[in-house]
Amino acid sequence: MTTQTFHALRVLDAYNPIATAKTVVFDVPNILKDTFRWRAGQHITLRFELNGEEVRRSYTVSSSPVSGEKLCITVKRVLGGLVSNYINNNVRAGDEIEIMSPFGGFCLDPDGKKRRTHYFFGAGSGITPLFSMLQSVLLAEPYSYAYLLYGNTSENSIIFQQTLADLVEQYPERCVVRHVLSNRSVLTSFRPWRTGRIDTDAIWSFIEEHPPYAHDAQYYVCGPGNMNTSVKSALQDIDVPVTRIHSENFGGVVEMDNSFEGIAAKTTVILDGQSHEVHVARGQTLLQAMIAVDLNPPYSCQSGICGACRTKLMAGEVHMRARMALEDTEIEQGEILSCQSVAKTDKIAVVFD
Amino acid sequence: MSPIRMMHLLPVEAYTSQEWFEREQELIFSKVWHYAGFAEDIVEPGQYISVQAGLNNIFIVMGRDRRLRAFHNICRHRGTQLLRAVGKSQKAITCPYHDWTYDLEGNLISVPEEDREFPDLDKSCLGLKPASVDRWRGMLWVHPDPNAGSIMEWFGEIEPELGPHQVDKLVEYPQVRTTTEIKANWKIVVENYIDVYHLSHLHSGTLHMYDHAKAKFGFVGPHYVFWEPLSQWYREDIEKNVMMPLLDEIPRNKIGAWVPMLFPGLGLAENESSWSIYYVMPLAPDSTRVETRTKVKNVSSWEFAMQSWRSGSFWTRNTSAKYEGDAKTDSLATGDFMAEDVYVCEQQQKSLQSPYFEIGATAVSGESPVKEHQQIVLAFIEGNQQAK
Ligand code: FES
Ligand SMILES: [Fe+2]
Repeated sequence: MTTQTFHALRVLDAYNPIATAKTVVFDVPNILKDTFRWRAGQHITLRFELNGEEVRRSYTVSSSPVSGEKLCITVKRVLGGLVSNYINNNVRAGDEIEIMSPFGGFCLDPDGKKRRTHYFFGAGSGITPLFSMLQSVLLAEPYSYAYLLYGNTSENSIIFQQTLADLVEQYPERCVVRHVLSNRSVLTSFRPWRTGRIDTDAIWSFIEEHPPYAHDAQYYVCGPGNMNTSVKSALQDIDVPVTRIHSENFGGVVEMDNSFEGIAAKTTVILDGQSHEVHVARGQTLLQAMIAVDLNPPYSCQSGICGACRTKLMAGEVHMRARMALEDTEIEQGEILSCQSVAKTDKIAVVFD
Repeated sequence: MSPIRMMHLLPVEAYTSQEWFEREQELIFSKVWHYAGFAEDIVEPGQYISVQAGLNNIFIVMGRDRRLRAFHNICRHRGTQLLRAVGKSQKAITCPYHDWTYDLEGNLISVPEEDREFPDLDKSCLGLKPASVDRWRGMLWVHPDPNAGSIMEWFGEIEPELGPHQVDKLVEYPQVRTTTEIKANWKIVVENYIDVYHLSHLHSGTLHMYDHAKAKFGFVGPHYVFWEPLSQWYREDIEKNVMMPLLDEIPRNKIGAWVPMLFPGLGLAENESSWSIYYVMPLAPDSTRVETRTKVKNVSSWEFAMQSWRSGSFWTRNTSAKYEGDAKTDSLATGDFMAEDVYVCEQQQKSLQSPYFEIGATAVSGESPVKEHQQIVLAFIEGNQQAK
């Protein structure tokens, strides 16, 4: 995907699944069906003009690609967040929003022949990709199992609570959902599985209570802050091979590694099959350098989260300030995020494919 | 020269010669998913079992993440078998010969006197060789090939033809577990299991609570499926007549017995009140071990006692042996259908030695599964069968 074309999609419906979040359903015209075909776990980038400035944000598609549902996103209000609050306050049916086609490598592609146990660890708005994945497994991987451990602050911040309960009822043999709440209200009848956080103890107890049925087990983690790191290490502590753990930090705070400023470098960029020589200045990211000479490389969030700007490093070395969008194995294979990469050697070559 | 003596489609040697036995071990039993036990056999981290799957000895161990791992049970040093049949190891597996030690991921983690004796050893290349493992229908399965793929490619198509039993919710009835060595080739044992024609004759007094005339059977891929309803006189008052508590998950209109034979040699007997396996394991050309294990409804022993008491007189009235005689010395006087089957299998094997042995005729329908099974065996031996 090397084009970064935006398409105006009409909002079919917009509603609040909980008071602090909004689900926006888009109408994808037939002619764009292929462009907007998504994989469970992928995001789309939305572009708005707010206060005279262009802003872009990526949100996970929360509907499942195999359920026949429309393309939709569910956006939770972020305290002080420009776009999330704009969407919650203003977006309504009939609006048109500029959207770029789906992308992202944190995916679960259901395979009807496979027999796997998929564990999902999610918290807050990190549920959106997991929700799409879980539904896809139940619908399109009939021999597989889906076990979700889902953390929230309180009952009224649980997105998809009812739909998840319905899925458990519909697939009692194959689906488990357990809620963890950090603040438990005494005023409701809802009893979470546990109070507290999704910590090592919660993870181990969850696996002990729900051991994998199919032994090809896969683990998906998506939550804010350092949740991914802590879930990953809790899993590795009980010998889950790292190749089975898939994670994405989304909607959380991105920790930047600004320890290295970057040096000037001559860069060869292969984009759309064409080779270009680009000068990257000291302190400039690869993406900035390419845009400065009017190249049209793919990008979206510009914060290392979405992965739209990924490219393959063929020569030289770079320093990445953030790398949330990439899995360790991808980094080993030379994948980099051009929006986060500054040069470490004075000659670099990258290829977009 | 006398013509080749045949058992329907296979030469008699297929049932008597060491050469055929070895070919089957290599081309059938080492190439497919192999039954390894009940899921309940491994329930906590560190627990393991080992199983012979054709030429391969494979062990399954549960890691701390409760996932099962399977490895070839061979030390990477000089090939010594690492683990005995069943047991529990804490965090590591140590070879008895020179104490080479592996973690539960199969990595070689320690070699005694490594610095002095193996100065250039790269331990990372000497991990245990992985195999495949999965759980299906309450059972553990292994495959020697680490890239065997999904077990559902092997069982997916037959699954809908099996009983509605919720195997994972049933509990084992350990008192009725049996192991029998039968002096017959494994194919004779399997052919007996799938012979529909014999049911109303050999077992006229032991399996007559099922209506054999209404049996439906056939093959799905290499696997045999079979279903028959209960006999009218037994079904009429089934709540009272059934020997053990009825399984609720079986709809009344389907109540009966599902008796499939999963290739090669895992028979199931799924009926109104129990779920059993019949595991056929070839030991030699003329010797086969059969293990049976049974699961029943998870209710109190009081309920079992009550049901057995309620149905007692019905069964005394309605069970009879094939022949009258001393049950201690004559299998056919036991009134036990398994003893009846073992007896005829061994008698048939004996005759294979005789130069006068031949198959006289074959029942068109009731013995068709026997021929079809032979065809499948042949396809594997000749390499025409896509094994999974
Ligand atoms: S053969 Fe295993 S330690 Fe030597
Ligand atoms: Fe029989």
